[in-house]
Amino acid sequence: MILARFLGPRVWLLVAALLAAAVLVPLSNLWLPADHPLHVPSHIVPLLGKYVCYALLALALDLVWGHVGILSLGHGAFFALGGYAMGMYLMRQIGPRGVYGNPVLPDFMVFLNWGELPWFWHGFDQFWFAALMVVLVPGLLAFVFGWFAFRSRVTGVYLSIITQALTYALLLAFFRNDMGFGGNNGLTDFKDILGFPIQAGTTRAALFAASCVALALGVLLVGAVTRSKLGSLMTAVRDAESRTRFIGWRPEYVKLFAFTVSAVMAGIAGALYVPQVGIINPGEFAPVNSIEVVVWAAIGGRGTILGPVVGALLVASSKSYFTAVAPDTWLFVLGGLFVFVTLFLPRGIIGTIDHGWTGWRERLKASRAAERGAGAPPAAPPQSPGDLPSPAE
Amino acid sequence: MMQQPIEPGPAEPFVSPHPYATQRALERRAKQTADGARRETLLYLDGVTKSFDGFKAINKLSLVLQKGEMRAIIGPNGAGKTTMMDIITGKTKPDSGEVFFRGDVDLTRHDEAAIASLGIGRKFQKPTVFESLDVDENLRLSLAGSRSVFSALRHKRTVEEAAKIEAILATTRLTDKRHRLAADLSHGQKQWLEIGMLLAQDPELLLVDEPVAGMTDAETAETARLLREIAETRSVVVVEHDMHFVRELGVKVTCLHEGSVLSEGTLDHVSADPRVVEVYLGR
Amino acid sequence: MLRQLRLCLALLLAALALAAPAHAQGPDIAAIVAKLGGKISFPDTEAVIAELAATGDPAAERPLRALAAGQLVWRDGDEAVFIATSGAEPTPLLDPVTGADAGTAPKDQLNKIRIKNSIRTAVDDALAGLTLRADDPAMRRRAAENLFAAADPEGIDVLDAALAAETDANVRAVMEQARAAAILKSDRPGADKEAAVTTLTARGDRPALNALTAFAAAAPAGEAQEAAARGAAQIEQTIALWGQAQNIWYGLSLGSVLLLAAIGLAITFGVMGVINMAHGEMVMLGAYTTFVVQEAIRTQVPWLFEWSLAIALPLAFLVSGSVGLVMERGLIRFLYGRPLETLLATFGVSLILQQLVRTIFGPTNREVGNPDWMSGAFQFGQMAITWNRLWIIVFALTVFAALLFALNRTPMGLQMRAVTQNRKMASAMGIRTPFVDAMTFALGSGIAGIAGVALSQIDNVSPDLGGSYIIDSFMVVVFGGVGNLWGTLVGAMTLGIVNKFLEPYAGAVLGKIVVLVLIILFIQKRPRGLFAQKGRFVDA
Repeated sequence: MILARFLGPRVWLLVAALLAAAVLVPLSNLWLPADHPLHVPSHIVPLLGKYVCYALLALALDLVWGHVGILSLGHGAFFALGGYAMGMYLMRQIGPRGVYGNPVLPDFMVFLNWGELPWFWHGFDQFWFAALMVVLVPGLLAFVFGWFAFRSRVTGVYLSIITQALTYALLLAFFRNDMGFGGNNGLTDFKDILGFPIQAGTTRAALFAASCVALALGVLLVGAVTRSKLGSLMTAVRDAESRTRFIGWRPEYVKLFAFTVSAVMAGIAGALYVPQVGIINPGEFAPVNSIEVVVWAAIGGRGTILGPVVGALLVASSKSYFTAVAPDTWLFVLGGLFVFVTLFLPRGIIGTIDHGWTGWRERLKASRAAERGAGAPPAAPPQSPGDLPSPAE
Repeated sequence: MMQQPIEPGPAEPFVSPHPYATQRALERRAKQTADGARRETLLYLDGVTKSFDGFKAINKLSLVLQKGEMRAIIGPNGAGKTTMMDIITGKTKPDSGEVFFRGDVDLTRHDEAAIASLGIGRKFQKPTVFESLDVDENLRLSLAGSRSVFSALRHKRTVEEAAKIEAILATTRLTDKRHRLAADLSHGQKQWLEIGMLLAQDPELLLVDEPVAGMTDAETAETARLLREIAETRSVVVVEHDMHFVRELGVKVTCLHEGSVLSEGTLDHVSADPRVVEVYLGR
Repeated sequence: MLRQLRLCLALLLAALALAAPAHAQGPDIAAIVAKLGGKISFPDTEAVIAELAATGDPAAERPLRALAAGQLVWRDGDEAVFIATSGAEPTPLLDPVTGADAGTAPKDQLNKIRIKNSIRTAVDDALAGLTLRADDPAMRRRAAENLFAAADPEGIDVLDAALAAETDANVRAVMEQARAAAILKSDRPGADKEAAVTTLTARGDRPALNALTAFAAAAPAGEAQEAAARGAAQIEQTIALWGQAQNIWYGLSLGSVLLLAAIGLAITFGVMGVINMAHGEMVMLGAYTTFVVQEAIRTQVPWLFEWSLAIALPLAFLVSGSVGLVMERGLIRFLYGRPLETLLATFGVSLILQQLVRTIFGPTNREVGNPDWMSGAFQFGQMAITWNRLWIIVFALTVFAALLFALNRTPMGLQMRAVTQNRKMASAMGIRTPFVDAMTFALGSGIAGIAGVALSQIDNVSPDLGGSYIIDSFMVVVFGGVGNLWGTLVGAMTLGIVNKFLEPYAGAVLGKIVVLVLIILFIQKRPRGLFAQKGRFVDA
């Protein structure tokens, strides 16, 4: 009861909707006859599961962007790392059923004439180990990266650009065959998961349900964190980072916490995504993927919990639609969305519903005022080469 | 000008990652060692210099503040007032010179958060409050207590906490604005909220930068009253241009010019000083 | 039949003699070669070879090579000599001197001119001697280089003879080096060998090093041997030095590419503080402008091709600059002071531009040609320098200097600096700040377009061109220090050189990753870059 009031009705409605979907979609897919109007066709289930994973990724990104103000352009990296950890488990599950029939080595290693399993592939035949790595690898990377970045006070666009560089570096690395992750082709041809055939309807339904539950848990987690005192602190860090230092907080640790938790969530999303789409390849590290995540959160409304979920479902499903109907137009649509949202819908859909629409004339006025007012745009370094700072105090 | 400590401080001041541990250890050590003149002071700056690209914002500045003292700092633009505050609060590291708090805490070795935890609060020239949080949350974040991320995550509201906030709201006359977003407050109310946040931190020393800029006369008088009240239990340094306000405070005044102390004493003494007149009115 | 063939041959030879009067002056090669017909002894064959060599006529090369390869045959009956490259039935024949088609003959009527190893050696020497006296200095030089590689003591006499006649200093030098290499392998007295060591040490490249180390290892201890060891060590040092120089050159080359890509960004991001994620697409537009210009020239006025880049430059500046202008007026000006949203919106623009180019020009690489003055390479010491790289370095530095001039010495540049330093004050002074913003952004974009023209010469022109530079460009600007053009220059060159020095150890891709990681670590240490703005307000 206390928890219910604490989190607010919206979070609980979302959680309830997700849990209902987790039950109803598999039921409808498995039990209703194919011609029933409420039947969910089998090819739709993994597609929906994919969207739910995207929603979890968007929620993870929003934890750092919407609530702490860190725009990460590299969250796709954590997603992909979680996916690779799961993919490695699924590869090991193939066993002797691969094309080359090697009981231990995945096909691509046989193809590369590798004699034995690289050390980092050991343990991935155990699900618990893979599951641990799904959490640990993205979490650790985020922790180490964040430790360096936040402690040295790299903020704003600088941070965004180095997160993008991070995923770009991983993209280059995973494309290499000798990295031992299948190079260009990635990991695919999975057979089964936890002993269940991966293509089976029941397995897919279960994976969908698992994704919904994971998203529901993510929503609860983000809800709980943002409603706590830490949540206020996060907002404080987002709005006036240096001010929090002067009342004794260390914003770098707040950011580090949020960034690490967020990376773990992204990793879990990736791990659930891979068995449903059946492949993981270095393309997931592409910077453009990470940026697409940003647009999901932006369209839905950042910092609203519901927003990123809605945004991800909306944009990802329209992507499926456009790439099927007119593949050439999708990038126009996506690019247009970026421009549209930043210009006309800066609070996103949910934020606009909550706070009302700020007319674009008003915002133009505001930006003009900013132009006239507070001197140079804040990101602009105020001095040009070699000039002394004015001694004004 | 400064009295040198009888015995030089420990070569390596004790620094622990935990601010409270540092504080306690330093207190213990302070008791053990012989009392020097410096140890009796609350804030001790000696020969502090800081330059930006060759421009000396602070030049061999020396300043001593006794425990419980309230001090007004005046000076024309560019005298180094804000840079001095930056140095005390750890935002800027001085090029040379000593900065000690409570006699032997070397402030140049701590960062902003640690210095804030040591008990130095700062109010900025431009009021900076957390605009998307309400007044209550602003104060709650400032309340003294553990500053760890995980304790913030597990934090539960207590009756004591509520009582403290209640008291501060009353002092700063913001009780009826408790659940307003800070962004919706007027300029003067933001200034007071920031002073309230300072009080919530329960600091030993308050640094207040131009607290009455942009305030009405009534608000100014109210602020002076508030600061005098605060100064009964804590030490306060006020930077201010408004001579009326400084006179109303009725405390010792230090005039800075070009990064060093030009004149020190009562307001009458300082304003009679020909050098001060020269600086303010020009030759 | 035979008669006709012979007639044909005679006619052909006559035609050849007319066509190549220079060759007709010396002794008749064909006549000498004809002596090989019929059964002759090995000493006779060697005599003929010597006679051919003595002519010094390059025309003797073909029969000699055929002889060494065992392809020289004579025909039963008239004992005429031919080249037979295949053993087919009937065997096709070639004229031994001109290489012209000389009909066919049944296989059993042809007799191969026998050879043995000593004949082959004699042919090789003769050939070396022949080409050593060719008319073309490049050919003589090549022949000398071959002899250098062979380092055969037998060749010393030939070289001596050639040296006596040689006039070209460069060719002479190579001949002397070849002679020195041969001497080291011969049984000549120590003094000669010492001189040879000196010559080789002076040559100072890897083959010279090999010759010297081989000699130092094999020869009995003595002054010459010691000198060779010393020389080898010296050369090793020189080679290492040249290796470093080559690396630095590659690094500068990469650095200039980075500089070109980043310099526009140094304006839009560094000076204005606008995060333009579509910056790479501005570069791409410049490259496609070059493509369009070249296509137009190819179809309309092919003789202008050499000038295509010069024509493309202003056009690319205009194209990218006006796209930038439209972006600033239509989008970015609404987002000043909101860097993260600017980043997102401009990223959207970059997607749209990419897809637009993909729709118009197709997703595949487009062919952009190099004008003659951009292609080829030349040798500088022991480094190979390609013209296009050299020109791009020159070009990058020129653009840099021009930009520096424009910002620091022109009224518009003064206004730009004024606006970026203190917008309010500039506005109060009567500067139209929105206009200056738009112009600054257009300038940055236009320069990106110019960079695209240059990059089209060394990179694939595809819709993804921009994407591959954007991260590097940001890295350069951030590393060099935001708001500082000199920082951009030093940053680009440093990154270029570091990259190239890492490559041999880490490979190209891993080297790039290492550089990225190094930059990330560097930003930890100096969050404001190499040439950071110092001052009290940078944090504000």
